[in-house]
Amino acid sequence: MTLTQIGKEKPARIINMELVTPVVRRRLLDMGIMEGTLVQLKRSLPFGGPCMIEAGGQWVGIRRSDADKIRVERV
Amino acid sequence: MTATFALIGNPNTGKTSLFNELTGSYEYVGNWVGVTVEKKVGVLKDKSAQLVDLPGVYSLSPLSEDEGVATRFLLEEEYQGILNIVDASQLERNLYLTVQLLEYGKPLIIGLNMLDVAKSRGMEIDLSRLTTGLQVPIYPVIARKGTGCDQLSLALTQLKDKQEPLVLDYGKVLEEAIQQIGEKWTGKGLRWLALQFFEGNKMVREYLEAHIDPAFLQELYGETEKLVKAETGETSLPHWIRRVRSQWIKELCQEAVIHSAKKAVPFSEKIDHLVTHPLLGVPVFLLFMFLVFKMTFDWVGSPLSDILDGIITGPITTGLQWVLQAVGTSQFMQDLVLKGIVAGVGGVLVFVPQIFILFFFISLLEDSGYMARVAIVMDRVMEFFGLNGKAFIPMIIGFGCNVPGVMAARTIEQPGERLLTIILTPLMSCSARLSVYSLFVGAFFARNQAMVVFSLYFLGIGVALILARILSPFMNKGRASVFLVELPPYRFPKWLSLFRHTWEKGKGFVRKAGTYIFGGSVLIWLMSTTGPAGFQVRMTESYLAIIGGFISPLFSPLGFGTWQAGAALLTGFLAKEVVVSTMNILYMSGDMASLQGILVHAFTPLQAYSLMVFILLYIPCLATIAVIKKESGSAKWTWISIGISLVTAYLLTLVLYQVGLLLGIGT
Repeated sequence: MTLTQIGKEKPARIINMELVTPVVRRRLLDMGIMEGTLVQLKRSLPFGGPCMIEAGGQWVGIRRSDADKIRVERV
Repeated sequence: MTATFALIGNPNTGKTSLFNELTGSYEYVGNWVGVTVEKKVGVLKDKSAQLVDLPGVYSLSPLSEDEGVATRFLLEEEYQGILNIVDASQLERNLYLTVQLLEYGKPLIIGLNMLDVAKSRGMEIDLSRLTTGLQVPIYPVIARKGTGCDQLSLALTQLKDKQEPLVLDYGKVLEEAIQQIGEKWTGKGLRWLALQFFEGNKMVREYLEAHIDPAFLQELYGETEKLVKAETGETSLPHWIRRVRSQWIKELCQEAVIHSAKKAVPFSEKIDHLVTHPLLGVPVFLLFMFLVFKMTFDWVGSPLSDILDGIITGPITTGLQWVLQAVGTSQFMQDLVLKGIVAGVGGVLVFVPQIFILFFFISLLEDSGYMARVAIVMDRVMEFFGLNGKAFIPMIIGFGCNVPGVMAARTIEQPGERLLTIILTPLMSCSARLSVYSLFVGAFFARNQAMVVFSLYFLGIGVALILARILSPFMNKGRASVFLVELPPYRFPKWLSLFRHTWEKGKGFVRKAGTYIFGGSVLIWLMSTTGPAGFQVRMTESYLAIIGGFISPLFSPLGFGTWQAGAALLTGFLAKEVVVSTMNILYMSGDMASLQGILVHAFTPLQAYSLMVFILLYIPCLATIAVIKKESGSAKWTWISIGISLVTAYLLTLVLYQVGLLLGIGT
C-alpha cells in the first residue's frame, strides 16, 4: 500500500521508500522521515498537484509522484 | 585577532533572529528556507567576538548550493567554536545536525529555541538530562523576543578551548573501514571525515580525493556498503549511519523529554485549510497579490507619492533656487542643480512610498510563512512549464528587486531548474520599473491604474513561464524535476522585524537615487545641453538627441521612435528608474504632473503601453547582470539571458503595437 492509497488523515508507518526520487529521498531523510517513521497524508492539491504530509509535527510538501512511491502500512 | 564563532542550525529555527539579537545588527530575518543565502558576519554586542551566520542546513552533507556554504566553512575557515541553535519543538530532527557537529569535535554550545512551542505541543524538556547526554552547555532562549540571549552571549565567550569528539559505535565493519582510510590519511579529523564520506558527503569526498586515490575510495565505499547491507539489512550505507545516530538520539530523548497527552489543533492547520484549498488556493493568492497592488497604487501609495511630489517640486525646489541665487552661483550651476539633479533624482524619489509599501507586503509574505504555501499551490502549474513550485519564490522576491530574486534561486536543488530560474527571474517586474509605470499609468490610464500595472506584472510572469517551457528541455537534459518544500508553522510577524525588513530592502532604492541616479542625471543633463556646436545648445541639437536619434528608427515599428525614448532606453540600462529621470530632464518638466501632461501629447495610450511592455522586458539592469554572472558562474548564460530579453521584448512589443494599430485600440 502507498501513502496516497491509504488516504488522508490515516496514521501510517513507512516501510519502504527506495523508489522515491533520490534527491527527495535524501531531503526527507535529512528531516528524519525514513523507513519506520510515522506519517500522515494531510492534504493534496488538484490535477495531480503536490501533497502535504506530516511527520512528528513537521509538515512537508512533496509531489504526488513521490508520495505514490512511499510504501506504508496501517498502524 | 578576535575570536570567531559559527552560528549553525536547521532552517526555520529562528537562527537569523538569534543572530540579530546577539549582534544587534539589522540582518535579514525570514520565515522561508534559504533566506540566508550567504555567509554573514556580525560582531557580538559586547564586541568580544565575531559571529558568522551560516545558511540553515539539516545535515553537513550538502544537497543544494547554499548548504555547501556551511560545510565549506567548517572545513576551511578559522574559528574557535560553534553556536548550534536547536528548535526544541523538533528536537529529534535538530539533534541530528548536533550529533554531526559533536562528532566533528569543535567546542560547541547549544541555544535551545522555541521551548514555548514545544510546550504547546505537549513536550516537556529536562535540560539537565539533555546536558548530561550531550556533554555540552545548553542555554534556553526565545530568539524572537531576545530572552536569554545575554546569558548565551556571555557563555559563548567563556566557552572552553577543547571538546572531545563524540564517538558512536557504528559496528565492526564500518569501524574497520574507518581505520583503512586512517592508513592513508595523516591529517586531522579522520573519524569525522571518514564518516561523512561514507554518509555520501560529496564535498568531503572531493576533499579526501585531493589526498587519497579516488579509485581506492570508490572501491572501499562499495565493499563497505555491501558488507554493511548484508550484516544490518539496511538499504544503503548512509541509511545505516543515519540509523545509528537516530537510535542514539531517540534514547537520549526518551530520557530527557516527557510527552504529555495535551495536544492543541495547531493554528497553522486552520489557515492551511483555506490557503491550500484545492479550489480556492490559487484564487486566494491572486486576490492577495491584487490587494497588494491596490494598496500600492490606488489606496495608499499614490496619494502619498503625490504629496511627496508636491513637496519636492514646491518648497524644496524654491528653497534650493533661493539658496543658489543668494550665494550667487552661475546660471549654469543653477540649471545643473534644478533642471538636472532635482528633476532626475527628485523624479525617482517621488516613488519611495509606493516602493516601500510593496516591500512591506513582500516582507509580510516571507515572515509569515505563507511563501512556502505559495510554492506548493503553484507547483502543479510550474511543473507544466518545466520548473517547480520553489522557483516561484525567487520570482516573487524579484517583484521587489531582481538582484535578491536571482540569489534566492540557490535553494533550488536541481541545477537545470536553478539556472533556468536565474535567467528568467529578471523578467519579473521589479520596483524600479514600477516608477516608470507609475508615471505612465498616471498620465494615460488614470482610471485603471492598478489593473494596467497588474497586467504588466502578469505579462512578466507569463513570458517567463512560456520561455521556461521552451527552454527547459535543453537545460534539464532529462534530469527529473524535483520538488520538496518544508512548511514552517505560521508565525505572526513581529512589527519591529517587519519594519526593519522592509527598510533593509527599500534602503537600496534610496541609496541608488543618491548614487547611480544622481550621477546619471548629471551626465544626462550635461549631454542634453552640450552638442557639436558647444555648450548651451538647443536640446534637439545636443549629443543626447544625436545618439537617441541614431537608435530611434529601430523603435519606430514599436510605436516610440522618438529620440527622447531612444535616449531614455539607453540610459535605463544603468537602472530602470533612470528612464523616469531622463524623461524628466529631456522634456524639461518641473514635476510629475506637468511631465505627465507633456507625455500625453507625445504618445498615444497604445504607444505608452508598448513602451511600458518594452521597458518591462528589454534588458536586466546593470546590477542584475552582475548577479546573474556571479550566480550562474558563466558568461555564456549571462549573454543568453540578455539576448533572450532583448529579442523577446522586441518581438512581443512589435506584435502588440501592430495588432493594436490594426484594431485601432488606444490610438
